[in-house]
Amino acid sequence: MNFYLTGLYFLPLIVGGILLIAPAKISRPLVILSSLVLSVLAFLVFLSVNEPVYFSVPHYVSQLVAGADILMLVFFLWVALQRKSLLVGIMSVVQLAGLLYLLKNMSGGESLQFMVDKLSTFMFLLINIISGIIAVFTLRYIDEEDCSAFRKKFFLALLFWFIGAMNLVVSADNLEYFFLFFELTTLASFLFIGFRKDAVSIQNAVTALWMNQLGGIAILAAIFFIVYNGYGEITFTNLLAHAKAEGILLPLALLSIAALIKGAQLPFSKWLLGAMVAPTPVSALLHSSTMVKIAPFIILRLSPALKDTPVAMVIIGLTGFVFIASAVSALSQDNFKRILAHSTIALLALMIMMGAIGTPVTIVAALVLVLFHGISKCMLFLNAGVLERVFHLKQSSDMDRLGESGPFTSLVMTIGFMSLLLPPFGAFIGKWLSIETLGALATEKKLLGALVIVAVAGGGAVLSLLYFKVIGLLINRTGAQDQIRFEKTGPYYAATIYILLGLVLASVAGLPLLLTYYFAPVASAVNGSAVIVMQEGWNLFVGSMRIPLLPMLIAFFLLPVTILVAMFIRFRHTDRVKEYMCGEKINYSFSSFYFSTDRAIPYFSAAGILFFIALIIVALI
Amino acid sequence: MNLASYRKKSPWILHFNAGGCNGCDIEILACLGPKYDIERFGMINTGNPKQSDILLITGPVTKRTRERLVEIYAQMPEPKVVISCGACASTGGVFRGMYNCEGGVDQFIPVDVYVCGCGTRPEQIIDGVVQALGILEKKTKALEQSVKLKKEALQEEGQLNRRNIADEIKPLLT
Amino acid sequence: MNVMNAYLIPVLLIVLAPFIGGLVYGFDRIVKARMQRRTGPPLLQPFYDFLKLADKRQMMVHSTHAFLGLMHFVSLWFALAVLLLGGDLILVIFLHLLSTSLLILAGYSTRSVFSHLGANRMALSVLAYEPVLIIMAVSVFMINGSFDTSVVYASGEPLLYKMPLAFVALLLVLPIKLKKSPFDVAEAHQEITGGVEIEYSGLFFEAVYTAKWLDYIFCYTLVFLFAGNNILLGAGLIIFTFFYLAALDNSTARVNYKQMLRFSLGVAFTLAFINLLINSLI
Repeated sequence: MNFYLTGLYFLPLIVGGILLIAPAKISRPLVILSSLVLSVLAFLVFLSVNEPVYFSVPHYVSQLVAGADILMLVFFLWVALQRKSLLVGIMSVVQLAGLLYLLKNMSGGESLQFMVDKLSTFMFLLINIISGIIAVFTLRYIDEEDCSAFRKKFFLALLFWFIGAMNLVVSADNLEYFFLFFELTTLASFLFIGFRKDAVSIQNAVTALWMNQLGGIAILAAIFFIVYNGYGEITFTNLLAHAKAEGILLPLALLSIAALIKGAQLPFSKWLLGAMVAPTPVSALLHSSTMVKIAPFIILRLSPALKDTPVAMVIIGLTGFVFIASAVSALSQDNFKRILAHSTIALLALMIMMGAIGTPVTIVAALVLVLFHGISKCMLFLNAGVLERVFHLKQSSDMDRLGESGPFTSLVMTIGFMSLLLPPFGAFIGKWLSIETLGALATEKKLLGALVIVAVAGGGAVLSLLYFKVIGLLINRTGAQDQIRFEKTGPYYAATIYILLGLVLASVAGLPLLLTYYFAPVASAVNGSAVIVMQEGWNLFVGSMRIPLLPMLIAFFLLPVTILVAMFIRFRHTDRVKEYMCGEKINYSFSSFYFSTDRAIPYFSAAGILFFIALIIVALI
Repeated sequence: MNLASYRKKSPWILHFNAGGCNGCDIEILACLGPKYDIERFGMINTGNPKQSDILLITGPVTKRTRERLVEIYAQMPEPKVVISCGACASTGGVFRGMYNCEGGVDQFIPVDVYVCGCGTRPEQIIDGVVQALGILEKKTKALEQSVKLKKEALQEEGQLNRRNIADEIKPLLT
Repeated sequence: MNVMNAYLIPVLLIVLAPFIGGLVYGFDRIVKARMQRRTGPPLLQPFYDFLKLADKRQMMVHSTHAFLGLMHFVSLWFALAVLLLGGDLILVIFLHLLSTSLLILAGYSTRSVFSHLGANRMALSVLAYEPVLIIMAVSVFMINGSFDTSVVYASGEPLLYKMPLAFVALLLVLPIKLKKSPFDVAEAHQEITGGVEIEYSGLFFEAVYTAKWLDYIFCYTLVFLFAGNNILLGAGLIIFTFFYLAALDNSTARVNYKQMLRFSLGVAFTLAFINLLINSLI
């Protein structure tokens, strides 16, 4: 089994190295093969790990890690000098200073630096399968990009190195190692966002850099306080073991801040929105399916310690606010990828909130959301890539005629949006569980619970409006043409989208099974107590929460199936008539409605900053 | 259950002004008001050809409105009746023979009831509508086949009759 | 036998909902006419309309539009069924939202200007009343400990006494839901000739028309929730709401969507929120 794990860590590194120099004839099959192998490895690891597996690395690796840390920070400093960015410079200097201080004063214990438990294997599955699919998509996407051949190989190599880094992040127990891998993903994000090398990309890359570095500083500060307070080893396991200790809240709060920044919660959401200028596989990989999922991952890791603390209450308040604020901001966007980015931030807020509440059912809800959001958002972003390359569309207001010229793409996008919104898709079940369990929270902390339920339910309504607005653009037809001809987008694009579509639809069919055999065990491992999933009559019980299956089943036929059928149904023997335009014969082009949230953004950011300050304050008290 | 008998109980009106002076329009609106109250017969003024049974037209048909008039008539589902309200809609009225008027609705669509008057009084309009309802009951809901208009095309001194304009232009082109 | 009895009335109500809704709609038209010193149509007028529309030649713009109209009616009936059978209140609100969304999608699916304008305005109306309904549901949760409406129907203490402000907020947003003045921007007959309904005719229009009747039953059931198991109080509330809506419809002019949003989110939402705070702190 250790063999599989080593494969998960080293295979991406090696493949990345090969891709840097190999010609296209080798790199294409290599990418497809390694994606398959990685997915299989992740699956095997998931099946074989039931108890947490700890392992350590030799001492010289620790020194290599420290060296790599320093090298990376020096690189950031160089970037600061090159791009003349004061913020990046300050962050890098602070990080360097902090790191060097810690390295000097830390007791170099022979702790076990890596831990792979059910949560890690859960993330392995998500990371490797989704990244594999995106890598195959990238094979064609990057070919059509306007840059040198070496840059294209570099992109693919960087993609695989990033997969390796992600695999390492979710298995790191030692916080210093975790810091390195965390910052490696920041580095990857920086390189990816700035890939196109135009002014906007570089600026957004620098913004992403300093904001994520702030997260790194938070981790370093957490390490500092662990050492200072004398808890012993700087590992997650040790931190959780000291859950009731004096002053534990401060490291927890700092680690949560790192998670919140990585998850682009307000006021640090600018980097994620700016990251949308990067090539679409980057948006799909980093900024929806994998890298930003580090945020709920950290919170889930910490949830046994965070549960019921004031820190958790502030996090719940913040994420509730972010959920509704980003849902409202999403209504103001026209650029399709930005709409997806805003809704990603909103759902991340929900995931973090569920992790922070920490009861068995909410952890199941968080895991359900993490997985299904990852799959659906990946599908939507890859579709955005297809729109960009095949239809040359970036703004959603240009998607006026897409329903007729691209029926398959419209179908996939509609399914993608509906899978985030409607029953019986997983994301809806996750949201449903969230609202029901927030009710449980509200019985103890009435005011907070009430406010958060309102935010979540209200945000859910706004998000529904958003999705129906976009689906409305896709469903528009003249009705002149009855025959449907699915467009051809090319083998790589079509194959990857078919696979994701299959995953989405299979997850619907297998949801009760997935809940029993996949989510519940992981949640039990995270929470420490068993989560029981059972079916009784027409209800599915997850812990104590009841999911009424009969209304859900009927709702499934009434809603997603209705919309899909509506796109393709043809009543053959009914007469057709033109639209009423007071009898005019002019052709119109149609767009949609938008809100301008410019005046509200400063208030949102201010509220976010207040929450962050509150987070620190409650940790210090 | 004879569904045709319910046509009389719920006739929905579409009112179209084909370029008139608004005199007859005001009278039609008066019918909807409290004094004459045609809603007690179930009549609603829908603005929408797809949901109406009765087409009330006022005004002599001008060049611009004739195309829209025919378009709206085509968008009404059968069974439908057409009532031309006022002298202008029936024959062109005061504006007959002018360069911009086509001389009445029946040059373009088949009319079932002519209501006379300049402006017609609400009582006359209601009387016309009630007679039209009797005609409506006998109509079918099959798609109206191509209809030969009963009225001859207007031939008058100086009147350019655009119904036959295609016949006049063709020899000029060949 | 008890189970059968418990389900008999709701099932009967669900099956007869279109008929009851039609009678309510007909009565609404008569009251409106009498308030305007007219005679008004006969009570059964909506049914005459229904039968007349059944006898028209079938026409549609395209199948997507027609089908979505039909499914709007079916899903609204289903939402009403879940509410009457005592389902989860958040689920009911969600189903109602989705059935309205089907109509909004229908509005977007044709290339008709008025249809799109109506769909935009309807989406904004949803944005106006949905948060208030959600806060109302959460207040119910705060009092009862669950979202189940069956608990509400069985409770001996009417919610009206425990959350009066929420009832006022509900009364303020009901005109938006039922598309009555002053908040009928979504339908706006003289402006956009009915908005989303404009491209419907014949059988498909019947579906949308009958859905309007069901909406009445839905809203009055929401009002009835405030009475608990006290049927007299519930009937009284419904009658009061009916005449309140009729009077409001006849005496106010239409406001534009910005004013509607400002009013709904500024006044009704605030009232409901204050009610929630009171319920959660006591």
